[in-house]
Amino acid sequence: MSTTQAISTREASGRAKPTGTQERRTARRNRLTSGGLLVPALIGLTISFIVPMLWMIRMAFNEGAGSGVVIETFTLQTILDPLTDSYYWWVIWNTFSMGVISATLCIIVSYPIALFLTRTMSRWKGILIAIALAPLLTSDVVRTYGWMVILSNDGILNTALMNLGIISSPLQLANNMSGVIIGLVQIFMPYAILAMISGFGRLSPQLEEAASSLGANRFTTFLRITLPLSLPGILTAFLLVFVLSISTFVTPRLLGGGVVQVLATSIYDQTTELLNWPFAAALAVILLILFGTVVGLYQALTKKLEGE
Amino acid sequence: MNTLESKLSLVGLTKSYASSIPPAVDRLDMDVEDGHLVALLGPSGCGKTTTLRMVAGLLDPSAGRIMVDGQNITNTPVHKRGMGMVFQSYALFPHMNVAENVSFGLQMRKRPKQDQERLVQQALEMVQLDHLAKRRTKALSGGQQQRIALARALVVEPTLLLLDEPLSNLDAKLRETMRTEIRQIQQRTGATTLFVTHDQDEALDMADRIAVMNGGLIEQFGSPRDIYERPRTRFVANFIGRANLIQASIDAEGEDQGEGLVQYQISVADHGRFLAVGEPGMAGTTRHVLVRPHRLRAGPSGSDAEGLRGSVESTSYTGDSISYRVRVGEDLFTAEMLTAGQDQLRVGDEAAVSWKASDALVLPEEVS
Amino acid sequence: MSAEPVPFKARTNIGRLAFLLIVLASYLFLAAPLVIIFVMSFNGNQYLSWPPENFTLDWYRVLPEQSQFIEGLQTTLITASSSTALVLLCGVPAALALNRYEFRGKGALSAFFLSPLLVPTIVLAVGLVLILGPIGLTNTYLGIIIGHFAITFPYIIRTTLMALLTSDTSCEEAARVLGAGRFTVFRRVTLPIIAPGVIAGGVIAFIVSFDEAVISLFVAESGRPTLPVHVLRYVEQSADAAVAALSVILILFSLLIVIIVERLMGLRTALR
Repeated sequence: MSTTQAISTREASGRAKPTGTQERRTARRNRLTSGGLLVPALIGLTISFIVPMLWMIRMAFNEGAGSGVVIETFTLQTILDPLTDSYYWWVIWNTFSMGVISATLCIIVSYPIALFLTRTMSRWKGILIAIALAPLLTSDVVRTYGWMVILSNDGILNTALMNLGIISSPLQLANNMSGVIIGLVQIFMPYAILAMISGFGRLSPQLEEAASSLGANRFTTFLRITLPLSLPGILTAFLLVFVLSISTFVTPRLLGGGVVQVLATSIYDQTTELLNWPFAAALAVILLILFGTVVGLYQALTKKLEGE
Repeated sequence: MNTLESKLSLVGLTKSYASSIPPAVDRLDMDVEDGHLVALLGPSGCGKTTTLRMVAGLLDPSAGRIMVDGQNITNTPVHKRGMGMVFQSYALFPHMNVAENVSFGLQMRKRPKQDQERLVQQALEMVQLDHLAKRRTKALSGGQQQRIALARALVVEPTLLLLDEPLSNLDAKLRETMRTEIRQIQQRTGATTLFVTHDQDEALDMADRIAVMNGGLIEQFGSPRDIYERPRTRFVANFIGRANLIQASIDAEGEDQGEGLVQYQISVADHGRFLAVGEPGMAGTTRHVLVRPHRLRAGPSGSDAEGLRGSVESTSYTGDSISYRVRVGEDLFTAEMLTAGQDQLRVGDEAAVSWKASDALVLPEEVS
Repeated sequence: MSAEPVPFKARTNIGRLAFLLIVLASYLFLAAPLVIIFVMSFNGNQYLSWPPENFTLDWYRVLPEQSQFIEGLQTTLITASSSTALVLLCGVPAALALNRYEFRGKGALSAFFLSPLLVPTIVLAVGLVLILGPIGLTNTYLGIIIGHFAITFPYIIRTTLMALLTSDTSCEEAARVLGAGRFTVFRRVTLPIIAPGVIAGGVIAFIVSFDEAVISLFVAESGRPTLPVHVLRYVEQSADAAVAALSVILILFSLLIVIIVERLMGLRTALR
């Protein structure tokens, strides 16, 4: 009988691949179908993502003379230039410190909300979470504008304080780094809250209750139980806000008032004003490396924390 | 193998996923008569669902053939097989109402609108849910969903009705009524049905034939009575109902008992000689002997006591009956007896277990 | 484990109140710029002052007369809806392949699909302007659409995958057994079932593209500025109340999107 033959050949060949005719046909069809389904996405991402990124990286190895003049070559000089220039070290330092400070402050103001949202049993929980995350979907230009209205010299905060006679001359809150940081902290709060809620998986009210029933006071409970358990969430939120801050452009541009120079603003100036594309690309590569290092760190960390 | 007369024939049907693991279904042969309800019964992982999915066309066999009405449909794609299937989760389309669900198969067959409406109405009447036609499926109870799924499968007059553990998501009480209902509907429509289940009661209650599966193989294929009273292997004896199995030497073949059985003299190591029945031709071998607990008698080991002597290890009282577990050497026997008129045995009592010759069956499976 | 001794509870009420006040303050900080813009948009005084003086609707009344905003809105609507349609057309099939088919390198591919979110937008913007400039696509609708493709694509993948993951595949099998071919199964069964996730992804992609300023600034500042670019440039000059009314409309629009997404699949699930 043919079936038995089929079986014996199958066993002889060791059953590595699909052996039934229909099985093979289906496997081939599935390969074709899945391939076909993926093609549009791959083309789209190639055009809009891969090619621009590769081209940008290639551009960083050209030399630029400004005003749109690009000297086709292959040199490391363009990337090394800003790294040997004290001005750009200052820019990189600005970028880095802006990231660290805004991430730290962002964690401090987001932590209570995240903790509250994790713990609360309120039936409004869903809505409260939505309110905390909703600003994520509003334009950062609009939100930055809101901070300009509040913080600028003739802004709401200063006029209110002066009307009340608390201060006599306006506080310098906008057009400098502190204004930028205040804006960034608020803009990235939803991200921090989201990351912390997800990272607070092991926190449970029972643990805290258990600690207090064992005689720990509120402060000790927080220090010994709540804080250590929320550390993973805090860490991921910190790194997330850091990378988002160092790559943001709108807020430093608007709230910095041209005074605050970070990598993002320098890249803009080089690209659209000085038209020194290789140099802009080189700065972008530096930002990418800074960003990539931290993202890599972040992913290694989350992997490690998930593995536990 | 009479392929021409049977509705469905599986010939050497095999499904293997990787060379390193044993096949999920291994060279399966089976013939299903027209109008029969056949249960594929076995523990999880035995290959019953894989077999059903191959018949449906949702899985491609690695080898072998599937024949329906003498036609080879192994290479027919699933949507051209004309099967009707009920899934464990019922798989009702959540975005359609009840009537739209039921008419989906008719729409695929491009039946005229009026036909569709009439047939849907008939199918819903059959499962007594015609008043729910416009309901969303999510609002329905488990039993109602299950009946809608059945109506959806049957309305297309399928070549075969395939049921994949259709009752396992229902609570115990509903399961009983649905059994009867499915069976009635199946008999009324005459749909040849394959039914996957891990529940032996379900299989015994509903099926015309049961295929007991284990490790990708059919251990035994037969009527419910056959499967229960004349199991051929230890696995089947254990899986269907409860069983006391003892290993015994089959000494001498005795007289014919009818129904293809002969009497045997058997001897159980260290415990003496007894009588049992079995298919002829097993004298001189070692086999397993099956005695069902309710066919086993346990009593005080008095002077005239016959049978195996041991001691009562535990008892459990369930109202109508009481069961004793009696330790005899290495073996542990369970005897289940009516409570009325029994001398109660206590834990630690000396006891004797015995049986009628016709209640002990020598299994044809060789002892490995 | 209900460890609630009475004296302890009495003591915690003060601590709890303090905690809730801190939470409230944090929420206020989070909402501050949006609330302020809202108030300012009704302020009768051209200059920012606090407390606001006489109530007015003038800022809303003059909005339609601001031709640059209307043009910007038009550009934004055209580009945002086209790029949303495009990412939906590319993203939904890709998510389907990732979830319903087996092939090698699947993990790497899904990581790749989400990776545009892991690149600073401004870096991508530089690359885009360098590649689109020479072929004459800067300052065109198509240029902006290409620019927004990569940054909106991951949202579609994420929400669609989530919807596919939670859908019951036996519905599709049931449809196939009932005689539906693969495409019919997709159109009649799969798509309707995953629709909430797909729509949520589309809506998020739309708002991300609608609000996006950096790539639009680089790619189309001089020729086809989108609405966010117009706002950015206006605000750069002066932070007066004129933009407040426009901002309020943008905020309300975002709020609408938030409500839609929350209804469809939960904001938290969609944004994670």
